[in-house]
Amino acid sequence: MPKIEVPESMFFSLAGRSYSDDQMMDIFPVAKAELDGHEDGVVKIELNDTNRPDLWSAAGVARALRSYESGKVPHYDFFSSKDKTMDSAGRVHIDYESALGVRDFSISFAASGCTVTEEMLINLIQSQEKLCQNFGRKRKTIAIGIFRSDLVKYPVHYIGADPDKTSFVPLGMEEELTLREILEKHPKGREYGYILAGKDRYPYLYDDKGDTLSFSPIINSAYLGAVKVGDKDLFVDISGPILDDLLLTANILACDMADMGFTIEPVRVHFAKDTKYGRELTVPYYFQEEACCAVADVEKTLGLALSGEECVKALARMGVDAYVKDDVIHARCPEWRNDFLHAVDIIEDIMTGHGLANFEPVMPAAFTKGSLSPVEEYARRVKSLMVGLGFQEMMYNYLGSKREYVDNMHVSDGNVVYIANPMSENYEVVRPSILPSLLESESVSGHAVYPHRIFEIGKVCYKDPSDNSGTTTRDKLGFLASEGQVGFNEASSYIQTLMYYLRKDYKLEAVEDDGRFIPGRAAKIVCGGTEIGVYGEVHPQVLESWGCSMPAIMAELDLDAML
Amino acid sequence: MDIEVKKLHPLEVRLLRHVRLGQEITADRLVDELGYKVGQCNQAFSWLSAKGCLEESGRVKHVFYELTETGRAQAEAGLPVERIFKYLAAEAPKSLPEIAQALGLQQSDVGSAFGSLTSAKKAALNEERKAVLTSDSLPDEVIIQRSLIERAKESAIEESALSAAEKAAISKLAKKRGAAASTFRLVEREDVTYQLTAKGDEVRQALEEGGITGEEFGQLTATMLQTGSWRNGTFRPYGLDAPVSRLVPGRTNAYADYLCWVKDKLVSLGFEEYDGPLVVNEFWNGDALFMPQFHSARDIHDVYYVKDPSHCKKIEEPWLSRVAATHEDGGGTGSRGWGYTFDHEFTRRQVLRSQSTVLSATQLPHAKVPGKYFGIARCFRYDQVDATHGADFYQTEGIVVGEDVNLRNLLGLLKMFAQEVAGAEEVKYVPGYFPFTEPSIEVHIKHPVLGWFELGGSGIFRPEVTKSLGLDVPVLAWGLGIDRMALMHLGLNDLRELFTPDIENVRMRRGN
Repeated sequence: MPKIEVPESMFFSLAGRSYSDDQMMDIFPVAKAELDGHEDGVVKIELNDTNRPDLWSAAGVARALRSYESGKVPHYDFFSSKDKTMDSAGRVHIDYESALGVRDFSISFAASGCTVTEEMLINLIQSQEKLCQNFGRKRKTIAIGIFRSDLVKYPVHYIGADPDKTSFVPLGMEEELTLREILEKHPKGREYGYILAGKDRYPYLYDDKGDTLSFSPIINSAYLGAVKVGDKDLFVDISGPILDDLLLTANILACDMADMGFTIEPVRVHFAKDTKYGRELTVPYYFQEEACCAVADVEKTLGLALSGEECVKALARMGVDAYVKDDVIHARCPEWRNDFLHAVDIIEDIMTGHGLANFEPVMPAAFTKGSLSPVEEYARRVKSLMVGLGFQEMMYNYLGSKREYVDNMHVSDGNVVYIANPMSENYEVVRPSILPSLLESESVSGHAVYPHRIFEIGKVCYKDPSDNSGTTTRDKLGFLASEGQVGFNEASSYIQTLMYYLRKDYKLEAVEDDGRFIPGRAAKIVCGGTEIGVYGEVHPQVLESWGCSMPAIMAELDLDAML
Repeated sequence: MDIEVKKLHPLEVRLLRHVRLGQEITADRLVDELGYKVGQCNQAFSWLSAKGCLEESGRVKHVFYELTETGRAQAEAGLPVERIFKYLAAEAPKSLPEIAQALGLQQSDVGSAFGSLTSAKKAALNEERKAVLTSDSLPDEVIIQRSLIERAKESAIEESALSAAEKAAISKLAKKRGAAASTFRLVEREDVTYQLTAKGDEVRQALEEGGITGEEFGQLTATMLQTGSWRNGTFRPYGLDAPVSRLVPGRTNAYADYLCWVKDKLVSLGFEEYDGPLVVNEFWNGDALFMPQFHSARDIHDVYYVKDPSHCKKIEEPWLSRVAATHEDGGGTGSRGWGYTFDHEFTRRQVLRSQSTVLSATQLPHAKVPGKYFGIARCFRYDQVDATHGADFYQTEGIVVGEDVNLRNLLGLLKMFAQEVAGAEEVKYVPGYFPFTEPSIEVHIKHPVLGWFELGGSGIFRPEVTKSLGLDVPVLAWGLGIDRMALMHLGLNDLRELFTPDIENVRMRRGN
């Protein structure tokens, strides 16, 4: 989940009031946020809603709190829409066909009238980072560049450029490099170059003088892209393959910057292909659609009869303009949001805006019958028998290493389920059997008073071509006994006792070629023609591999097969 | 007096009651007079000395001869010299090697034994250099040796009790230490003499006054019951502060007990348990829950992928088509969808179950209305293992399906869990976010020990989830973070300890 840090003074100024820690803890949940810490004048906030990127900045959280407290929806006057186009005053941004298939869209807007402070700069970079990393899937779908607009000569041009014939001095370096060299040499190139893998042209943004703005989504130019404290005029570019995501990002940044005191200056963007908004539009642009919800559905979902008027009031506290017509709530999605997928999304806002504390808990009325799963009931019977036989129940992790589950057991790994992306070789195999878990216990428990008698009832997983997944998960009983003298006969007695009380007729068959057991001292347990388990004396090679110093017997039974 | 006479061992009691001030007390005496074994004498001496009832009054060193293994064999078969004498008496003259071979003796033993016969003038070599007897009796020394061996068969012979001739005879059979195959070995023993102390005498009087004889019964036996002999005495009392020996019982695991308890609670609240496999596909793990395929929680750094088979064979219809349509444009669920092209290859990719909500998703197409279900499922996350993250761990969650269930019912359920399962004093609800529920609620509770913390997450499944899976009624969904409560219940603070392989650790663990 995204986390942000913001200077207390800036945050309280954006929120329009100051808060104590307790007050922040109480109110932050309305913005799906949590107070993560507050020290040395810095407020740390954790954001939980992954579908609300507008809340991943201090300005966004502050905006949500302002509406909630005042019940008033904030309004911004710089948005164009399908009905209204703002004056872009000659600021033009042209996307060319050469970028299609590489990174289809680049859009922008400008901002002026405010001096960039250090706090502001840090905050802007932080918002930019969160949007690109989380919402923009590590710059894959959204990359943001911020530039010094006083130096930019319009129109700006966005093309798919030849990687070897285009060069500039990237931010953070002093020499001029080609786009291809930047991918190889610049840290950001190495980090994000994968996004452009396989492309024969690279996205490139430059102004009408020919000065480079950026090699999007990798790096800005050292000249136009070096924004610093004291700058007054900014140009914001957003590039990516999904136009709505770019428009939303532009809207969020524009609102945040307006809240900080900037005047937003729209830019006219020309696209290289048809979009649902036409071939050109003026950014920031209100592209969202109205969402609707029947008043009756609010009561059905929330269990409280709210009037249309109460719903509209609650939505206003969430920053949403709405009206009721013919018992249907019409909600205008705010410019900085795009999360009304379904009527339930409006209902949740009504719930939060109305205040969760105003909903009295009530138990569901319908009667239902409770029950344990059949295997759980069976497992409990088996468990009580094992305890009666003097065994200690253990519980183990299900992930382990090949060394533990395969090599130490002297078995093949033909049926073992491996993880394709293990974090470490200690956790790369799902256990195919309980027996290695029991032996691990032995290997670390030499200090525990003997005799050792341990068991576990748990799941194992191994390959099974007959299943849709090619694997099967089984509930198994595994047990092990270890002391100075212990042998096959004792194991046979345990099995016989268990099977008697579980009412299972069984016969034994010899085990061939099983590295886990001493040859001639192991048996397969067969019930009605089905093999349900195996037991025997642990082979000394297995004990040696595990570093165990006492002889042991062990057994494993398939409870699913015995049910 | 700092000694509780009732707690004295019978060996101590009988000793004390048998002796008087000024008497010499030795092990020999106790063996003779009380029938103690030597070991029992030493126990009684050491216990009573430690208690200050006895003090050492003298110490005498004794040397004994006792038979070795060789000596015991010779006691039966005869000394080499005896065997040679007997052999020559029965046979025609023989050379020494012939004798050695016939009797199975070492040549050197035959040589030295024959030498002792010739020097005692009992045998000689004839002109053919063969041995012949010259007397019909053994040398005196050998006769003495034989009688010593016979005596030693009964008990070790004390050196001081031997005559000069016997000493000379036995010393030839007890070679220096290290020499092989001698008949006798020398054993030294110290006999210690004790006397009763004044304190010991006080204890003795107290025993007499208390009527404690040391003859009390130690153990009630079946024979005593059969014969009724238990009526003829009293039973020795046990000291209540004696150390108790440890038992290692068969036992359930305290963490498993806790999980069972939670299951029983949920069953008692009308929930039916469900379960499922560890390997699941992206479809059920995420797609069916309306998590967009590009969601960050589905990233390679959050979920474990299965290497082989990397993909399942197929996804059941009609769920696949319906879910795909829902992701793309809402698919008739009333949603506008995520607006991207559903990846039919990705959806078959197999992962280790990363959230227990998979179980709810797979249950939805089969759910009864009304119905309540729960599961405690082992899940896997791509996390660095530490005190608060396990590679695999349990999640607890469930659903409530019903025509008319709503948010207030969800709050009611959460309140009940908070009180019944977590023992909470106060409950607080806050809006939350989960990709598959809307509205989403987090429940925070004030626990008597832990203070305020998040007990779990919950919500009403999005219609995109339920309608795609064939349910047109609301479904309340909830999950409880019971790990934390389990740790507290067990007095632990490291998640890794829940699955420790250490047997001793698990044996000693207790719930609350």
